[in-house]
Amino acid sequence: MRRRTVVQSPEHVLIELLPAGLGTRFAAFLLDCVLLLGILSLLDRAIRLLPHGARDMVSVTAGFVVIWGYNTFFEVRWNGQTPGKRVLGIRVVDGRGLPVDLAQSLIRNVVRLLDILPAGGIGMLSAMLDSEHRRLGDRAADTRVVVESQPAIPALEALAVRRFNSLRTLRVRRYVEHRIGVEERELLFSLCLRAPGLSEQARYQLFEEVGAHYRARLGIEDPHLSGESLVRGLAAMCAGLETEPPPAAPKSTRVRVG
Amino acid sequence: MTGLESFIDERSARWKRLSALLDEVQEARETELGRARLQELVLLYRSACTDLNRARTLTANPQLIGSLNQLTGRAYRFVYRRRRSTRMDLKKFFLRDIPATFHRRIGFIQLAAAALLAGAAVGFCAVLSNPAHAQALLPHQFFVERPAARVEQIETSKERVDTLREATAFGAYLYTHNIEVSFLTFAFGALTFAGAIFLLFYNGVILGAVAAQYLADGAGTFFVAWVGPHGALELPSIVFAGAAGLIAGNALLMPGDSGRAAALRDAFPAVFRMLSACAALLVCAGLIEGSFSQLSARSVPYALKIAVALALFAAMCLWLFGRRETE
Repeated sequence: MRRRTVVQSPEHVLIELLPAGLGTRFAAFLLDCVLLLGILSLLDRAIRLLPHGARDMVSVTAGFVVIWGYNTFFEVRWNGQTPGKRVLGIRVVDGRGLPVDLAQSLIRNVVRLLDILPAGGIGMLSAMLDSEHRRLGDRAADTRVVVESQPAIPALEALAVRRFNSLRTLRVRRYVEHRIGVEERELLFSLCLRAPGLSEQARYQLFEEVGAHYRARLGIEDPHLSGESLVRGLAAMCAGLETEPPPAAPKSTRVRVG
Repeated sequence: MTGLESFIDERSARWKRLSALLDEVQEARETELGRARLQELVLLYRSACTDLNRARTLTANPQLIGSLNQLTGRAYRFVYRRRRSTRMDLKKFFLRDIPATFHRRIGFIQLAAAALLAGAAVGFCAVLSNPAHAQALLPHQFFVERPAARVEQIETSKERVDTLREATAFGAYLYTHNIEVSFLTFAFGALTFAGAIFLLFYNGVILGAVAAQYLADGAGTFFVAWVGPHGALELPSIVFAGAAGLIAGNALLMPGDSGRAAALRDAFPAVFRMLSACAALLVCAGLIEGSFSQLSARSVPYALKIAVALALFAAMCLWLFGRRETE
């Protein structure tokens, strides 16, 4: 699993920086290359309009400035994004989670010279071996490339279900609290959230399979409860949606799971 | 309604508003946004921070925490970004900031210069003591003709560069190439420290060995006049690029007590200023190398070329080390 850099804001909130995947970064790089080639060819056309004497010098200098300045210009101007990065929803940020500055952007793009050496091999390798996916330039400039796209705020309707009394027993509650780990909770949530997109057949089979597993594991005997209802009920309990005490329980045993 | 449900219900309108405001500031400039909306954004950011902390205690739902985390992170980047100075003061940058940095980081420059000079001394002595050593030290393209024959050819044939167009085009080719070489030296130094020292030493060896070849062939004055005018700026530039690499490499590999991130942040302005100075000097050097350096003794006597070289070197030293100011 990709390690997340955690920064602490002055409000004492921990903000995680989620590193962008190598494939995404490479795609952004390719897009930028295509755009750069386009700019260079346009530039070439423009330079042909210049008087003969100045043409060669301007063309060499302008090509140099465009090739070296492209990334830095956009990263400073667009707050860590080049056009390619913007399309793919990733961003260069400082190691403290702040925007990159001019010096950092310049350094990471100068060191790119080494990163692209054998067909991009060194940069790829160093990003692969690094837990935070930094290429050499990112190490020298203390920058990270992070995912910027924002997952939608979960639709709670997907979890909101009818409540089933066979799940609202103290025993099931205790099992849910003690036996269902964080990964399993995430699995239950994502299954519920993905359900509307599945085909009828797949949806039924998947939920029955997962339901059977938890039926056995948590000792739920109600045969009238469908797999889907069972899974949704458990997910709702994990999310803390079902915080009312079960009918027979005294007030003091009230638990909130999550 | 239960705890988490009502939490999301109450807050999601604010999150959406914050997200929309952030989209807006990404497109518009800060001044166009207006005070009221900026204040609103900061307030919403603070409440999103609280919400993120609350969500972490309320639930393990990865989607909710993930989306709040991304939202807070985006807002954090905006709220705590450094204010971008409206315009960079180029005069202050070149006349005050750069000399101050060179003054403060003089140790790294001395180290880089020492590496280059040591290489030059080694190359020079090795070739002077035994010319056969040149075969081992220099790449093959240096052996197409004997130094004396080359001098003869340059001094008798037509001037190599006789139009302004040729001179500027050749100069532009030279400085773009040299800036790339200095960037490479910097990058090696920033990542390995020793790499920059090695590259400087190796460049010195080549320089020393070629100088010794010309001297042994009785063309020493020609060599100084040929290389001097641009070399006076070009050789210090490669030293400065190497020194910038050493500063960055020192921070990266030997960060000290305050930690790597802090050491790097401390090094960035110095690195940026040194590389800027280096690029500026290389542009001048390239233009000189493309024109003035190529002129033969029939147009410009050797003495004048050497005098120009000394004057350029003195001017550069005056610019970079003349004033005693601290950062």
